[in-house]
Amino acid sequence: MPAVFTIDPRSGVPIYLQIIEQVRRSVALRLLAPGEQLPTVKQLALDLTVNPNTVARAYRELERAEIIETAIGRGCFVRDDGTTASSRGAVNTVAAQGLMQAVREAKSLGLTSAQVRAFFEAALKRWFPEKK
Amino acid sequence: MSLSVEHLTKRYGAFTALDDVCFEVPPGSVFGLLGPNGAGKTTTFKCMLGLARPSAGTTLLDGAPLTPKTFARLGYVAERSTLYGWMSVREHLDMQRHDFARFDAKRAKELTDLFALDPRSRVRSLSKGLRTALSVVLAFSVDPDVLILDEPTSGLDPLNQRAVLKLIIEAAVRGRTVVFSSHQIGQVERAADHIAVLRGGRVVLSGAVDDLKAGSKIVEGTFETDAIALNGLASDGRISRIDQTGRIVRLTVGSGGEAEAQRLAEMGAQSVRVVDLSLEDIFLNAVDPARQTAGVTEGL
Repeated sequence: MPAVFTIDPRSGVPIYLQIIEQVRRSVALRLLAPGEQLPTVKQLALDLTVNPNTVARAYRELERAEIIETAIGRGCFVRDDGTTASSRGAVNTVAAQGLMQAVREAKSLGLTSAQVRAFFEAALKRWFPEKK
Repeated sequence: MSLSVEHLTKRYGAFTALDDVCFEVPPGSVFGLLGPNGAGKTTTFKCMLGLARPSAGTTLLDGAPLTPKTFARLGYVAERSTLYGWMSVREHLDMQRHDFARFDAKRAKELTDLFALDPRSRVRSLSKGLRTALSVVLAFSVDPDVLILDEPTSGLDPLNQRAVLKLIIEAAVRGRTVVFSSHQIGQVERAADHIAVLRGGRVVLSGAVDDLKAGSKIVEGTFETDAIALNGLASDGRISRIDQTGRIVRLTVGSGGEAEAQRLAEMGAQSVRVVDLSLEDIFLNAVDPARQTAGVTEGL
């Protein structure tokens, strides 16, 4: 498991969701390769100092989302096909959430949609220079 | 082993210390007991262990009342030290070996090393934190099926607090059942899968940590004026609290908050945001419902 794996118990986000989010990200960014083994529930519980049932719940949901698979007696692995389908989804979700939050914040600060659009165009120009 | 605390009531004369306390601890789980000072945590533990006689109610281990035989399968860290000042660390370990058939000398050595406890030290020369550490060592060295830990991290430095948390998690990984109390809510949030919150001797909140967190949000709307018609909101069963401060309205909701956010927007809110509640916010709400939640107050 990549060293970037951390959890923040003070956050309002349940710990099992934090683990799911980080595995998704790691798979999307290929920090976890297809076929790579994840730490056991026990190991990750001890490493993160969190309740083993919390880790087990995260793994169960990742399995249901077809990102990892369990080989009985051998442990959990990143699915071979998991990277293409689910990680693209994960990347899109992360990006969309970031943009959504930025727009919502701009609105709550009282900006008009024209102003938000102008900022957005400026940001696009900066990060996708060849397109404009 | 599973633990059921059933209708525990404890009266001291006219004072009711515990009032119909009930909770269930499934086998292999870690249960966190939270509450302000004087809420009844220690009294609950004492009643559970048979160290105090409850006025009513019982504690069942795997469905049966506590007997001397099952008592030997429990490990206990008392809130107030049960150590003897004139005895050394080694003498306490010897006493434990004598009293418990399951005492594991190798484990005891590992644990004393972990906390850098000198076996020759007299208890009276130990700091408050190291006395807590010695109580933890004694409890864990008999490898009990059930661990009842009353503030097992009090007085410890952050490094040793983390070491105690790891011991708790390790015990859970090995299928042991743990009940513990702590004022450090972050610790409870990490280690526990279920919690109960006591206030004035009553359980005011209990459940799975993840469910409690997922099921509470604050929806905050900012309006143009402070004349806001809130009447319609009171009938919504998912809203447990409505607070208004000037032009800002905060709803504490037991749902995802999306419907309530929509509601505030329809009522003319200029901006609406949904804030996740941490376990600390949920705890503060439970023990002091009149108080503003910490997360939001700090966010202003």
